[in-house]
Amino acid sequence: MSEAGTDRVLAPFANEPTLELRRASNRDALVEALAELDRRLPLRVPVKVGDDTGGDAGIESVDPGAPSRTVAVAGVASEDDIAEAVERAKRGAREWGSRPAADRAEVLMRAAAILRERRLELAALEVRECAKPWEEADADVCEAIDFLEYYARGAIELERGPALLQVPGERNAMRYFARGVAGVIPPWNFPLAIPTGMTSGALATGNAALLKPAEQSPACGQALVEALRQAGVPANAIALLPGYGDTGAALVRHPEVHTIAFTGSSAVGLEIVRSASEVREGQLRVKRVIAEMGGKNCVIVDRDADLDEVVPDVVRSAFGYAGQKCSACARVLVHEEIADLLVKRLAGAIEVLSVGQAESFETDVPPVIEREAQERVQRYTALGESQGKVAVRQPNVPEEGYFCPPILLTELPADSAVLREEVFGPLLTVEAIPSVEAACDAVESLPFALTGGLFSRNPRTVAEVAARLPLGNLYVNRHITGAMVGRQPFGGNKLSGVGSKAGGPDYLLQFVEPRVTSENTLRHGLVVE
Amino acid sequence: MRVGEAIAADQADRAHGLRRLDEKGMQLAANDRELRAALFRLVDVTPACRTLDDVGRHLVAYLDEVDERPPALAAAMRISHTKPGRMALGGAAAAGVRHMAHRFIAGASPRDALTELGRLWRRGIGASVDLLGEATVTEDEAERYADRCVDALEVLAEASPGWPDRPALESDSLGPIPRVNLSVKVSALTPLIRPDAPERGRRDATDRFRRLLRRARELGAHLHVDMESVDSLEVTLQLVLEIVGEEEFRDGPYVGVVIQAYLRDSGEELERVLEWREQARRSVPLTVRLVKGAYWDHELVEARQHGWSVPVFTDKADCDRNFEVLTRRLIDARSSVRLAVGSHNLRSLSHAIAYNRLTGGADSDLELQVLRGLGDDLAEAVAANGFRVRVYSPVGDLVAGMAYLVRRLLENTSNESFLAAQAEGAPLEELLTTP
Repeated sequence: MSEAGTDRVLAPFANEPTLELRRASNRDALVEALAELDRRLPLRVPVKVGDDTGGDAGIESVDPGAPSRTVAVAGVASEDDIAEAVERAKRGAREWGSRPAADRAEVLMRAAAILRERRLELAALEVRECAKPWEEADADVCEAIDFLEYYARGAIELERGPALLQVPGERNAMRYFARGVAGVIPPWNFPLAIPTGMTSGALATGNAALLKPAEQSPACGQALVEALRQAGVPANAIALLPGYGDTGAALVRHPEVHTIAFTGSSAVGLEIVRSASEVREGQLRVKRVIAEMGGKNCVIVDRDADLDEVVPDVVRSAFGYAGQKCSACARVLVHEEIADLLVKRLAGAIEVLSVGQAESFETDVPPVIEREAQERVQRYTALGESQGKVAVRQPNVPEEGYFCPPILLTELPADSAVLREEVFGPLLTVEAIPSVEAACDAVESLPFALTGGLFSRNPRTVAEVAARLPLGNLYVNRHITGAMVGRQPFGGNKLSGVGSKAGGPDYLLQFVEPRVTSENTLRHGLVVE
Repeated sequence: MRVGEAIAADQADRAHGLRRLDEKGMQLAANDRELRAALFRLVDVTPACRTLDDVGRHLVAYLDEVDERPPALAAAMRISHTKPGRMALGGAAAAGVRHMAHRFIAGASPRDALTELGRLWRRGIGASVDLLGEATVTEDEAERYADRCVDALEVLAEASPGWPDRPALESDSLGPIPRVNLSVKVSALTPLIRPDAPERGRRDATDRFRRLLRRARELGAHLHVDMESVDSLEVTLQLVLEIVGEEEFRDGPYVGVVIQAYLRDSGEELERVLEWREQARRSVPLTVRLVKGAYWDHELVEARQHGWSVPVFTDKADCDRNFEVLTRRLIDARSSVRLAVGSHNLRSLSHAIAYNRLTGGADSDLELQVLRGLGDDLAEAVAANGFRVRVYSPVGDLVAGMAYLVRRLLENTSNESFLAAQAEGAPLEELLTTP
């Protein structure tokens, strides 16, 4: 086994600092980067397979806040493109996977440096392509950098393999090897971070990756592929396959795509799990699906909670990026003794939210991603209004763009779809509950288990709730979004995901297969050690 | 240094009785980090507890996390297994918290606080009233805070003419000094403090702030705008400099701002204020309260969590040194600015007095400000030595004041604190040395 690179000492992982936006000079730099980007629009995003550049028509990605502005025009990868990409990826994986992990890590960290260099431009791209407000767009770029840096280090560690029992006369070794070709199907809501996380997980461990960016954010996906290739990932080991759902489904079906990393809705995720479990002609491996799916995230507020903290933290968790985060708060379950007070204060805090364009630093709630999303939120809003009571509905919403007024609903019946299904928009509900136990019952009855929150100042309550709820991520006395790589490994349980933890110490295990070698070292009475 | 010795001697004579007992308790807590955390958490949660049993449950849960419990607390844990035991425990704890709160809070309402404020005045000690309350997260809450401020100004303006003459508190070489002094927080005047968009908070707070300025001018009161964390610094400075600079407020009211010496950028902020002062051409002097700053932990944690450069000095000596640099800068500008030294540090205070004398200033041109509950002995001692002293006096009910209290307690029990060092008997020379 090659020892190249092992003597290089890497600095311990540290999260990439976000921009300190309370400094005017940093805000000015971002505004300038956006003006610069606007001059280059629309961007072209062709299919990229090996060194070939394919079609660049078929997908139009628009600014959700001003749909008449086209941000990018992307191609649609065909079945042939996918077949060709897989063929090349098999070769690419062999070459890339045979390098020592430390060498691959060096390449990935170079890619991180490229993203760091381009961070203002990339944040601006997220503002335009996904209407992600500045603070969150910048944080997303930082998270992408974090994934590259974190998994690069993790893969070096993983390559060493675990220790096994050794007895005289035999030598046992366990090592992890890349599974081969991975299909990566990310969403648009963390348009750089999630594609980067799943792609770099595959690459760091020596797989080739075929990235199918979300049709809403192809330009962000392209920026990642460019950075990886420029950093030195072989062209055959990373392909860009823009497209719609069909392209993703074809990728999942392909008999030689062995690993599928998906983040998105539960409906699509479960369909991927189903499709991947079918063994097709020419398939020689069991496919593995890493799926991060939906949630219906609840925040429990006990009667000893500090409402001065609850209100801003819940508002931020529910309405940041218009509620379009997998981790966003959808339901508040509050102790009945303080429920009226909390509803009143939340309503007042929601009333002053500023709904507007992502590019304005004054915006609290940007538009949702597309018309379909706007209509979905409107449907749930109408249902909620008919079944419950509107505590507040923000009246000032821009005309153009896919805006949804932030809304707070109360007194919904327990079986309401608004309380049980993922809305993925700026809609929050509050229910009064008699006790924390009752709140836990309600949370447990949901099919989801992604994130959740608890506000309580009793350490025993905190311990009890943490032990009881099967959530992937429980946040105590704080907002429930914004998981950080290495600090809050992220991912859900139950129907919210397969239990993998992005940005956590065991994430990379899903991209590898273990192999054990046991060698007989006993030669004619002589123990060779 | 002789200035400091005189005040310290006076201060020692005044520490007595019950206060000493409180200090003992706080010292005990200061020496044990876990115990201190448990105490603060209890103080923090007590207002949210509905019953004594509830207080008891929280207390026990906090003490559970303390590894080495003093014997009294171990005994408390033993009786906590029954409801009557817990209630007794909760009762004792709640009484303890209330007792402490009284030390820091001058009264439940401005009217309620008049007795205490009048008593201080007669002893030659002025006050700046600070209205405690919940965080402002809605427009209604911002309105209510502004209403409370107006009410406080009116109540104080009505009562203060009945107070006896105290010349040291009522004028200096720049002219008269109002008897009524209210401290206000911009974060309470608007729910829209957004560090990334300071304009929003400034716009939203403007009308309420103007309302306060007008009422203060009509009543001849002093309005002092507090400074909080860095997140609201820009909003606060923008608001004060823009609105107070308007023609309407040219001849009043008396206004003050705060400079926090623990901020690395505080020198630039002070220059910004002084430059504004030169250009604003107001006929009444501006007061600058110079403090070290009370959000040190918050700033440090926030910066570390985001990977930002830390905005505060992390070394106490650097902070103390900066405090003295800014003190001298302000004293040099005394022809247009009043300096209020907001510090419990005897060395910082002595330095201001000495430099002021050295440069030909009158003692009456300096003001010392201390926090109620923490600087009371110092206030008495300074007043006895003929200086003008003002006690920052929180007013409001115990429930709303708890978060405030805990922050102040944190300062008092931090190992860096001068008061803690003094209570533990560090030699006076050491405490008075140049930082």
